[in-house]
Amino acid sequence: MRSTRASAADSSLETTSVNRRTALRAGISTVAAGLAVLSHPEFVFPDEGAEEEPVPFLNVPRAAPNSLDWETLTEWLTPQDQVFSVQHYGTPEVDAAKFQLEIEGLVERSAKLSLADLKALPAQDVFMTLECSGNGASPGFSGAVYNSRWTGTPLWPLLTKCGVRPSTIEVVFFGHDRKSETLRPGTPRELTVDVPFGRSMSLADVERLQPLVAYARNGEPLEGRNGAPVRLIVPGWYGIANVKWLRRIELRDRRYMGRYMGRDYVTVRGERQGDEVVFVESSVTRMNIKSVIARVTSRSAKEGAALKAYGAVWGDGTPIKTVEVKVDDGPWRPAKLDEKPVEKFSWRFFSIDLGVVPAGKHTLVSRGIDASGRVQPAASDDEIALKKTYWEAYQQWPREIELKS
Amino acid sequence: MFTRPPGPWTRFALVALAVSLTGGAAYGQDTAAKKPMGKSESASPGSAAGEMGQIAGVVTYRADAARPWRYVRYYVQKPKTGELAEALVALRGRSLKQESERPKTVVIDQKLFNFTPEIAAIRVGDSIKFTNSDQSPHNVQTSGEIANFNVNMPADGEHLVKFDRAGGIRLPARVGCVFHSSMRAWIFVFDHPYYAITAADGKFRLENVPPGEYDMELTHPAGSLRWRQKVVVKAGTTTEVNISLSPDQKE
Repeated sequence: MRSTRASAADSSLETTSVNRRTALRAGISTVAAGLAVLSHPEFVFPDEGAEEEPVPFLNVPRAAPNSLDWETLTEWLTPQDQVFSVQHYGTPEVDAAKFQLEIEGLVERSAKLSLADLKALPAQDVFMTLECSGNGASPGFSGAVYNSRWTGTPLWPLLTKCGVRPSTIEVVFFGHDRKSETLRPGTPRELTVDVPFGRSMSLADVERLQPLVAYARNGEPLEGRNGAPVRLIVPGWYGIANVKWLRRIELRDRRYMGRYMGRDYVTVRGERQGDEVVFVESSVTRMNIKSVIARVTSRSAKEGAALKAYGAVWGDGTPIKTVEVKVDDGPWRPAKLDEKPVEKFSWRFFSIDLGVVPAGKHTLVSRGIDASGRVQPAASDDEIALKKTYWEAYQQWPREIELKS
Repeated sequence: MFTRPPGPWTRFALVALAVSLTGGAAYGQDTAAKKPMGKSESASPGSAAGEMGQIAGVVTYRADAARPWRYVRYYVQKPKTGELAEALVALRGRSLKQESERPKTVVIDQKLFNFTPEIAAIRVGDSIKFTNSDQSPHNVQTSGEIANFNVNMPADGEHLVKFDRAGGIRLPARVGCVFHSSMRAWIFVFDHPYYAITAADGKFRLENVPPGEYDMELTHPAGSLRWRQKVVVKAGTTTEVNISLSPDQKE
């Protein structure tokens, strides 16, 4: 049996070699070049001039550790101290040395894989921005998003190796975390059962999206609160699908309807069908196009204060077409998307020169537009206004500022 | 740090309430002559004459680009001079213990998804009134040796908590909102009155301190900064203690 210490050391060796191996394929050298500029210690964006002064937001609460601090966003790969974690059944402690991932159910050959077994399989890096689907539902919960280089082994070849039986329609991912759940509380049919945390994907989605069985983030072993030793990474899907403390992968011929597929993390949204609004319930899965202004700076100009806004845009992997920024009731103006780093499932940074803005209070807002034509909606648009649940909070985020005369 | 020698006019401090030895600020508290010491105070070092001293100073923070404090912008308004707000300074020592005669209530508002203020210092017997100014449900909860409560706060809601246990500067009640994990506050409960929280100018002042030698401590919970030093207080004198912090004082 290996000690935890030995595993950690192995992991760092492993990921170093993975980096070299995958660098050319994934274009990481360009990412690294970008990061060298981005990781300036004084929290300045790469092309931010020394004469630019930060303009504080009026409607943004103080940031706290373990969530993204938008106003100091400089690093494309988020440092660990700004990484959020949400857990519904507590934080289990999983002994990495004894860990075994089970692959069971409708497979020809079930499997039990130790951490060393997983690391011995072909390794892959996936760059992905992971966001809690509730992120942005209120100003008090707006830093639950971070970007990472995830390292692990792809799931699909692993399933293929186990032999997927033809009757399989669903792949269920169970964590080590468990809890007693009461169904139909207060009714004669009340039922309390002890259940593991679970989420599922259709077999077709697993094949299409190629999730990763991940054991490292940014080259380091996962932290306990982020799912150590192994978690699922589903490119382009909200945080809830990225099951932490992964214990068992089960192939089934029935839809899985656990609490976090069928009851919670279910978006209830009114959709207009002719003159009628029909409410549709759907499980939270794919991320939506979303952009946020991270910070605004001002510099002295002849006519007053010239503003510049910086931010990030991300989605489900559909290429980003543009980001537009609006001041008060002015026109939407295109922002400049950073040329690098660009990775399919990661956020992209943007900036825009807004010119001279008069003294007084102003509202700045951005919207992302992707290549499929999806436009990030305002809170008042049907898409958000008719959404009756907390999750999938991708509405535009207005930022209020006040410029002194 | 230096100690100001007592001037001839400082002897009148006992009867003149509004005398300051450093810069003319008025006393905020009654003097010992006006407010007789309780039983527990009689053991205070050097208090036989009944003449008290003061401690005053400025807390500053010197940033280091190699070890950045991400959230310093909330607490230091002028990076060049570094005056640090929301630092708690207090004396420690059993001999200081005295009961509060006029329990007070301090308000902590939940406003724009922050606890405002984020840090509060009170005495045993005082209360904190939590209010919610946001048009959003909040919660206030803490668990531990100082207090245990977990209460939901509707918009415009209120919750009053009386604190009966002292944890001093080292053991605050850490308060959060279960719905918004980035909301946090620290409540420090003392069994004596010798504590102060710095304002935006970094200044603090401890009044009516019985002469003697004390352990003086500082904490800035949001910045994880800690500092301590021995301080000597002389009767009728203001001891000036200017505290210069840097990332070296990070816990």
